[in-house]
Amino acid sequence: MRTSAALALLGAAVAASLLARHTASVAAIALVLFLVCLRAPRGRRWPYLIGTAVSSLALFVVTPFVETLGSHPVWTGPIVPVLGQLDVTHEELASALFQALRLAAVGLAFAAYALTVDHDRLVGAAAVARRSVLGVALATRLVPTLERDAAGLVESLRGRGVAVEGLRRRASLVSPLLAGSLERGLNLAEAMEARGYGRPSRTRIPSAPWRAIDRAAILVALALVVVGATWL
Amino acid sequence: MAVAQAERLTFAYPDRREPALRDVSLQLEEGEVVLLLGASGSGKSTLVRALAGLVPHFHGGRFEGRVEVGGRDTRSCRPAELAGTVATLFQDPEEQVVFTHVAREVAFGLENVGTPPEAILPRAIRSLTAVGAGHLADRPVAQLSGGELQRVCLASALALDPRLLLLDEPTSQLDPEAADDLLELAAELGSTVVVSEQRPERVLDVATRVVFLDAGRVVLDAPVDEARGWLGAHRPDWARKAVPPDPRSGSDVVCRLRHVSYAYRADSLVVDGLTLDLRCGEVAVLVGPNGVGKTTVAKLAAGLLQPAVGSVDLHGRAAMLLQDPGRHVVRERLDAEVALGVGGDLPRARRALASVGLAGHEQRHPRDLSSGERERVALASVLVTEPDLLVLDEPTRGMDPTRKRELAAHLRATAEARATLVVTNDRTFATTVGDRIVNLGESAEQNLVAAAHG
Repeated sequence: MRTSAALALLGAAVAASLLARHTASVAAIALVLFLVCLRAPRGRRWPYLIGTAVSSLALFVVTPFVETLGSHPVWTGPIVPVLGQLDVTHEELASALFQALRLAAVGLAFAAYALTVDHDRLVGAAAVARRSVLGVALATRLVPTLERDAAGLVESLRGRGVAVEGLRRRASLVSPLLAGSLERGLNLAEAMEARGYGRPSRTRIPSAPWRAIDRAAILVALALVVVGATWL
Repeated sequence: MAVAQAERLTFAYPDRREPALRDVSLQLEEGEVVLLLGASGSGKSTLVRALAGLVPHFHGGRFEGRVEVGGRDTRSCRPAELAGTVATLFQDPEEQVVFTHVAREVAFGLENVGTPPEAILPRAIRSLTAVGAGHLADRPVAQLSGGELQRVCLASALALDPRLLLLDEPTSQLDPEAADDLLELAAELGSTVVVSEQRPERVLDVATRVVFLDAGRVVLDAPVDEARGWLGAHRPDWARKAVPPDPRSGSDVVCRLRHVSYAYRADSLVVDGLTLDLRCGEVAVLVGPNGVGKTTVAKLAAGLLQPAVGSVDLHGRAAMLLQDPGRHVVRERLDAEVALGVGGDLPRARRALASVGLAGHEQRHPRDLSSGERERVALASVLVTEPDLLVLDEPTRGMDPTRKRELAAHLRATAEARATLVVTNDRTFATTVGDRIVNLGESAEQNLVAAAHG
């Protein structure tokens, strides 16, 4: 399938999950996207899946405390300055679940994009805003690159007899990782400039022709958005 | 007409008072293969960048004099506009890769310079085939070894069919055979080639001319035969043949690998049934082609990996210097970085820094150092821990011959206190430092000294 068709499908899934009004519909979209992510190699997919799960769970936990909705309390807590009376209602829990599933669907769509879409073909296919598309493709690579750098850093420290255990020790690696990432970015920018990036007269590898499956994917994407807005 | 020329070029990086290049004048003629030599920090990489137009456009700084490439003044012409006329292969191939698949990566430069669309992929494939990497065209870049990636980056440069090819330490990650192949290929291109190298011995055989930089100045610019004589007289470390050390056999076994196998993926063993003893007082050197499993063996010995089959018995403490240690910088001062492994003992860290020639630099930020200097900091970071087993993976990358000689002398002088395992593709260093060479590409161990003495 063409990269642009795959991207249209993922975009439509995100749009449908944001437009849908029923929790079960959003859950179904999230489930399908989760299954798509499972097609990626186990070693690559876990940072995306864990990141999505943690942020969705955090949203589910926080939402009932910051939202005021419904009149069927499940739990009533103390009065907290500024926030007032803490309570959790059935309606707030339902709303929290809905929002968390929406976030999960969006996160999983991004994960599916990062894990399964061929970024090279995406950049090659971009007829407009090619610089932005390339920027997004390079930024998407940041996650596995940072993961590899982190593993290298931990191994290097172990080689020097320094154990990297516990949250605090691991957190202390964030700053050197970011510094390394900036350095890598500068070196890459230099290499790209030396290879002619930014010249006005650029050409590109001819794209593969549209096939039936690509056209079908675009139709399904359109239908998904319409159904999301009207029925789901 | 000269392909490129520099006239009285003086350049200083921003916020540096001392110029990196001083009054450099140079003319590069069609078809020449110029070997650029000089100690770490002598200005080789800066000169390469000046010829690519990246100095001053990308780096800024103070630029005096004039550089012309293909008849165009680099001050008025951006590096991207010079691409095609010039192509550059940088030191670290990993940091120049834009795309995730090999063929697309090679095609990137061709697209940028406006190659007709239907000619892009055939030229990319032709270039990959020319460097012996045609079979890699459909592979993801992330699955390539360092040597394979270096070939792909060379193919990216060659695909542009440049008049001037700039190679900045192109063989740093290649085994000797692959390095010889790459240099012969570059020399046969017909383009003007400038090769910056720290391992001059193999490039001297293909070069037509040698330029030696010292503190940013050209101190030698001569045909290769004349240059050999000059190097012998004025820079003996750069011309010296490797001399095997007096043989020493170790005493107690510090680390014993017995029938060890290891696989990163279930379907392919990287190490298969290896048996190896590392003894106190002995420097063992591990050599072999790219991808044969040298680094994996080193990590198994150091305890960073556990064998799938077999056993590793380590008596005492191990420390290992990994490849590319410049990337693994944690602290913001050299002494604090080195002291990490000894519980923050700064005096001890400063002594270790002095032992690798970095006394007086304690307060500098590690990321402000050149790649060769970073390697030395990393070396100090493992030496300071005074391990029973010292494992060094490619410790001489980016190091000039003088520093290599000093490192070999240091390792041999302190070898009695521990067992040492060195992984290297650097033949000269292997010969100079090793009591015993273990060739992973061959089934049997060979004792270098015994072999050298017949």
